[in-house]
Amino acid sequence: MQETRILIIDDEEVVLDSCKMVLGPAGYKLTTASNGTAGLGLVRELQPDLIFVDLKMPGISGFEFLERLRAMDPNQVAIVITGYATVNSAVEAMKKGAYDFLPKPFTPDELRLITKRGLEKHRLLQEAIVLRREKEMLRENFAAIVSHELKSPLSALQQNLFGLTAELEDKLGDEQKARLERMKGRLDDLLKLIHTWLRVFSVDVNKIKEQFQPVAVASVITRAIENVLPHTTRKNIELTSDVREPLPPVMGDAVSLIEVLGNILNNAVKYSHPQTKIQLTAAAEVGAVVITVRDNGIGIAKEDLPRVFGDFYRGKGAPQMESGCGMGLAISRRIVEAHGGSIAVESEPGKGSQFTVRLPAKT
Amino acid sequence: MSAQKQLLIIDDDPDFVDGIKSILVKANYKVDAAYNPKDGWAALENKKYDLLLLDVMMGRGAEGIMIARKLGKDARLRNLPVLIITSIREQMAFLFPGEAVHPHFVTVDELVEKPVEPKMLLDKVATLIKTAEAKAGHLAEAKK
Repeated sequence: MQETRILIIDDEEVVLDSCKMVLGPAGYKLTTASNGTAGLGLVRELQPDLIFVDLKMPGISGFEFLERLRAMDPNQVAIVITGYATVNSAVEAMKKGAYDFLPKPFTPDELRLITKRGLEKHRLLQEAIVLRREKEMLRENFAAIVSHELKSPLSALQQNLFGLTAELEDKLGDEQKARLERMKGRLDDLLKLIHTWLRVFSVDVNKIKEQFQPVAVASVITRAIENVLPHTTRKNIELTSDVREPLPPVMGDAVSLIEVLGNILNNAVKYSHPQTKIQLTAAAEVGAVVITVRDNGIGIAKEDLPRVFGDFYRGKGAPQMESGCGMGLAISRRIVEAHGGSIAVESEPGKGSQFTVRLPAKT
Repeated sequence: MSAQKQLLIIDDDPDFVDGIKSILVKANYKVDAAYNPKDGWAALENKKYDLLLLDVMMGRGAEGIMIARKLGKDARLRNLPVLIITSIREQMAFLFPGEAVHPHFVTVDELVEKPVEPKMLLDKVATLIKTAEAKAGHLAEAKK
């Protein structure tokens, strides 16, 4: 096991000596410095596990040492040594990042105890750092692993269905072709589901802010409606859109906004009865563009409303068995919030729901 | 110009290759396939192709990218059009599906995501070959 390094910074020879006498035999590797500047140099050089620092020293004070230490490496554990008269300043030191303080004079046991506690704190901090790094790594690599391991077989399958469809074009009957199309549709849903999950786990939604551009809301609406048309046609739902131009542009990411509206429209279709209506309106308000999507579907129970935008929420009792991962609205909320906007829902069970997205207009 | 175009696919997933090859063969292309980067490179050196379809994730990582880089450094192969086929969605993120993405490893290249719709695949292949031929013609013209 690696030796435990302790750095002691004090201008009083007697303090340094007594620390050595108490901690030396316990097997710690001790290094001492007689002022703060030398101490900072040693921190850099030794990467100690624990630092004792006197508050009152010639040259830079203990406070300044703590400030610079924190700027250099916020994960260092420092304990201040202080005379009785300066207990108040010890508290001040803890505010500046010291982990604890040791009043002078101290007994050997007090020193041993506080050393042990300081080292324990250091160990926990290091463990937390390692865990955090692992989590980051997992998050970053998750996308790549999932993309490749899950998507590869599905892509190969889908590609072969594409190929077979082309090869057998003049040999298959309509019913057989329709079945191939359904297979492709199911695979496509599965691939999309994987994408969604990847977005949740590996894409920081706030990153889209980096590529914000002026976006025309009307074109976002058009694209979102295009995406949902196959589903409205299938359920024989009439989707009307009332875009009240002129609408001011918004600063945002068009693709993400299409995803938001697509999710809302998809849900509206999913929870609507066949042969009903969905109305989309977009209008300018003071400093904002407001888009509402109103359906005459099954609605959402009052107690569920607060959870609608949470992770893994899935509506109950859709008219037909519907697939979904329960992430659509959660992602939509994150995207809208990254745009500085808001998303809200009103609903009456049995009557329908209305989703409202409010996006700040470009100034 | 009516001669059959000769294509090479480098992809380590034989099933994916079959799926893509059948579409290209039906559209009257001659198609060779290599199932690892090494064989792929050997094929490129030994035979003249009109277009390369290149998978990104092969072997122990993005070995397809390494081939693309190597192509870019090769005076002859630099002008071979390349359609890079990736399963890494992230590279495509925030881009409109179907829109051209140019990785610029070689003179003429583009990126598409797996799986590729037949119509899109054939469009891209035809366009890339045409673009590369136009550029080559242009170069020959300039040299005169």
